[in-house]
Amino acid sequence: MSLAPSEHAPATATAAGRGTTDRTGRTRPGRRRLLTRTSVPYLLIMPAVLGFAIFKAYPIVASLWISLTTGNGAGRHFTGLDNYQRLLNDPLFWTALKNTALILVVQVPLMLGLALLIALGLNSTKVWLRPLWRLGVFVPSLTGLVAAGVMFSVILNRDAGLLNWVLSLFGIDRVNWLGSPFWARVGVVLVITWHYTGYNAVIYLAGLQGIPQELYEAAKVDGAGPIRRFVSITLPQLRPILLLTVVLSTIGTLQLFDEPYVLTGGGPDNATLTVTMYLYNNGFKYFDFGYASALAYALALIVAVLGFLQVRLMGERK
Amino acid sequence: MSHQLSRRRLLQLATASVAGLGLTACGDNGSGSAGGDGDSGRITVWSWTTAAEGLRSVVPSFERDNPGIEVDVQDVGNPAIWDKITVGLASGGKGLADVLHIGVDYLPGYLDKFPDGIADLSRLGADKYEDAFAKGLWPTVMGKDKAAHALPWEVNPLGLFYRHDHFEKAGVDPAGIGDWNDMIAAGSKILDAAGVRLLGLDKTGATQDMDFFQNLMQLQDVFYFDQDGKITLASPAAVKALTIIKRLNDAGLIADTAGQGTEKRLLSQGKLATYAEAAWAVEYLASTFPEQKGKWRSMQPPAAVPGGKRNAIVNSTYLAVSGSSTRRKAAWQFIEYALTKPAPINRMFASGGVFPALKAAYDDPRFSAPHPFYGGQKVLKPFVESLSADAPATNFTGDYARALKFASDAQSQVLLKGADPADALKKAAEQLAQQTGRQQAV
Repeated sequence: MSLAPSEHAPATATAAGRGTTDRTGRTRPGRRRLLTRTSVPYLLIMPAVLGFAIFKAYPIVASLWISLTTGNGAGRHFTGLDNYQRLLNDPLFWTALKNTALILVVQVPLMLGLALLIALGLNSTKVWLRPLWRLGVFVPSLTGLVAAGVMFSVILNRDAGLLNWVLSLFGIDRVNWLGSPFWARVGVVLVITWHYTGYNAVIYLAGLQGIPQELYEAAKVDGAGPIRRFVSITLPQLRPILLLTVVLSTIGTLQLFDEPYVLTGGGPDNATLTVTMYLYNNGFKYFDFGYASALAYALALIVAVLGFLQVRLMGERK
Repeated sequence: MSHQLSRRRLLQLATASVAGLGLTACGDNGSGSAGGDGDSGRITVWSWTTAAEGLRSVVPSFERDNPGIEVDVQDVGNPAIWDKITVGLASGGKGLADVLHIGVDYLPGYLDKFPDGIADLSRLGADKYEDAFAKGLWPTVMGKDKAAHALPWEVNPLGLFYRHDHFEKAGVDPAGIGDWNDMIAAGSKILDAAGVRLLGLDKTGATQDMDFFQNLMQLQDVFYFDQDGKITLASPAAVKALTIIKRLNDAGLIADTAGQGTEKRLLSQGKLATYAEAAWAVEYLASTFPEQKGKWRSMQPPAAVPGGKRNAIVNSTYLAVSGSSTRRKAAWQFIEYALTKPAPINRMFASGGVFPALKAAYDDPRFSAPHPFYGGQKVLKPFVESLSADAPATNFTGDYARALKFASDAQSQVLLKGADPADALKKAAEQLAQQTGRQQAV
């Protein structure tokens, strides 16, 4: 084999001067241009970037435009901030926001507190069959949201539901779970808590297992009790993970949709109407895509502000 | 609450935005739908459950009489079909079937919001059927362009089914009941004597089934909107309707049917004395509760006010051709075949239980035959007769879904929180006006 470029290789290949030469001595001009040290990383992230551009960036930008328009079908025209102004004067939007905030304030601390307790239990070396309990705790979060909603609508049925039957065994009167505004909210909180506590517990568990045992041993030597160790070691060590779960749970609750949609349809009398449900209704029931897009942007703004505040308040103090 | 949820939400928001985007794109092209008038080939039809079965039953004879056209009837399911049609229309007609089965609660909204989404059938000769269908239906198929965009298929005149045995036990003579005042008095007697409540309503409004309230308004020739599209949700007739519901509730005559399957369970246990439903319930009751054979009868619905009228059309469904269809003529031929001739339409009534809107269909003996489930009563006859009475068109408008929502909220406030009907409806009408930009009728 000669070391000269083969007759198939175009002259420009050698002219470029950076051609790779394989073991047979033949240069491979096609690959040389495509696969450079700078281009390969870009090629690797290309599918994700393309997916993001088509399915995220484009709709995000497009819905900003749509939120500034009104009309339908063939006649969509620019109306400036009209939709946003309408939003501020819409009592249902405020009701939805209030409901969402209420669920957020009650449910997120409840769930995360519960998740932390479960994680502490699962982390204890004194517990038998730990993998089994871990699995049991995590399984609810694998259930489809709609399936969970339908299941709970049966469990919470006033006359024929499992929960009221159990309560009746203890002599407690039937609760109109989905029929009264107060209990309907409790019902929604119950379903979300059931669904996501295990997920958060597993995240906490991973965090707990990452805390060096030496810290605890040193504290014990210094005479710290279990509560002291929890407050002074566990919590500070978990801080980044706590922050992560608080932010994720906040975003998730602000975008709450499936559970109330399946369980209560937002009722009774809008007691469980969430912002995302109201958004869906406006888009797909009332065909008012401009207003629905404005709602989406209002919600995004709220999520961004809350997320920012949480990171500032809970983040690492320098 | 988690990565999963937040991704799912984002996806849904993205879907909504993409759907909206279709609108924008549609706006850019001007007319949007690029359909065609093909008169042969394979056409698809979207319908649901028993209605789809009914349509399938006319396909063989249609294909035999119209060589070159093949029909594929798809059971999309209800309510899935509404999201599917909405998304299709919003993206300029992409992916829609050629023939669409659409309910009266959606058709005006589609015609209003997607003017090019549903094909003009007047152009293909639909106008000659204007008088062929039960009164009050034709205005619904007319778009803003004054052309017909669908043909009526199903009409559901209001009736009142009652448990003959419970009435007898309480000594109530149905012939003596003329309006809802009489019915409320009778309901209390039945509750005392037989221990069953008069009727079931979803008090929470989760299902937003407001047919009962709507019917009480329609019995007074009023609906959420008047013929000019102005809001009449706080009108005296609407207040009257909601007051009747409040009185029923205060007297303990309403069973709460909230929750999946509750109403069906109460019916099967014989705990509801009446079933204020439309013609479709004739076969529903007979086939769902065969063990209650002989216990049910039907009567004309009581008037909302003393001396008022006793007929109303609860709802109706239509077949339309999508504007983006490339075989509009073939699609129209199928609709015309299925809906304008007594033989096929009665075949669909027999196999799918779809009560026909076509007047010529009622000459068939089945409409005056005694029904064994109803103790040999000629149960369909009063329904047919009520259709020949004057029924002004109900103006659903493009904002029906919003009106339904606010009315349902008002009813829940009255039933669950003891709100005053007039106050609740006033608030509902104001919100409806604020959201739709429509005026309230004075």
